[in-house]
Amino acid sequence: MLKGLAGEEAAHRAFLTEAAALLRGYFRNRLRGAPEDAEDLVQETLVALHTRRDSYDPAYPLTAWMYAIARYRLIDHLRRARHRSHASLDGLDIGEPDPEYAASDAKRDLTALLSRLPEKQQKAIRLVKLEEKSVREAAEATGYSESDIKISIHRGLKTLMRLIGEAGAT
Amino acid sequence: MKTDQLIDLLARGVEPAERPRWMRKLAITLIVGLAAAVLLIAVGLGVRADIGAARMPVMMKAMFSAAAAAVMLPLATRLMRPGRPLGWRVGAVLVFVAVAAVATCVALFGEAPERRMEAWMGGGFPWCLVLVPILAAPTAALLLWLMRSFAPTRLTMTGAAIGALSGGIGAMAYSMYCPIDSVAFVTTWYVVAIALCAALGATIGARLLRW
Repeated sequence: MLKGLAGEEAAHRAFLTEAAALLRGYFRNRLRGAPEDAEDLVQETLVALHTRRDSYDPAYPLTAWMYAIARYRLIDHLRRARHRSHASLDGLDIGEPDPEYAASDAKRDLTALLSRLPEKQQKAIRLVKLEEKSVREAAEATGYSESDIKISIHRGLKTLMRLIGEAGAT
Repeated sequence: MKTDQLIDLLARGVEPAERPRWMRKLAITLIVGLAAAVLLIAVGLGVRADIGAARMPVMMKAMFSAAAAAVMLPLATRLMRPGRPLGWRVGAVLVFVAVAAVATCVALFGEAPERRMEAWMGGGFPWCLVLVPILAAPTAALLLWLMRSFAPTRLTMTGAAIGALSGGIGAMAYSMYCPIDSVAFVTTWYVVAIALCAALGATIGARLLRW
């Protein structure tokens, strides 16, 4: 985690992977019968752990920090679910359950959310995060400066986080 | 989307976490909030006319309010980060309230019985109940904004702490206007006004803090 905080990609990936496994267990235990909700929450929490990683104080246990955020996301989810259940469900087409639902496939489609970002941020995230280009390559390809790209990615991810939250609320 | 993809997306080209300079940010927030409250007093109500002669009581009231804010600080900063026990920080707040209550009693016993009521109530409606929350509003707004960039997970508690902290700041500014210098009045109604700010923070603030 500390190496991940320092910007080391492999360490950060390892942390997120391990966190995902722990979080999956945590949410599945508490949301029995709704594994796809649990997976949504795993993803929401991962994004929260990532975007708010500077709220972690390295002097204290990592798991306490992680589970506090997970618990917060869970309460938030239940609160939204309760609000939703107050609304009338009459005449609401909820569609057929998808039989080919993969267990680790969450409901929301990131590409759809990505397309709602400003174009610059979309491009930056696509190139660097999805197409594995370096920041410099992305800067050359788009004509923006490198710091422009970095800022776009940062802002874009923040907006994405918010959109993910909203998508979960509807 | 698969979770593995998300992890990939987040981890690729991760940037070092910023060192959150929250101490500095918090200090700036509180100073700006206090300045805004003092400005509100100076422009809106006017500083009390005898502020030169009444320097001592004004200072005492401002110090008392500052102490209230200071007592809230450890709790508020602790609530910024998820998953840390609150420990003595809640106790410190309770001790402060208890000390204020004892001070009220001692001050009232020192007064002549027929003057006690006036010393306690200040001879009228305690306007600080209305004005302190208004003066606390700028600080509260700034604190909410600051807090949102962290990760508070206990929103009601955090809202209350922010409310009380800004209430203390608001009361500091209010003491420049407040015409009543009775100790019992201050230790009672300032505390009630700050508690009112905490209640407002817990109800309104908690909603605004959601992330």
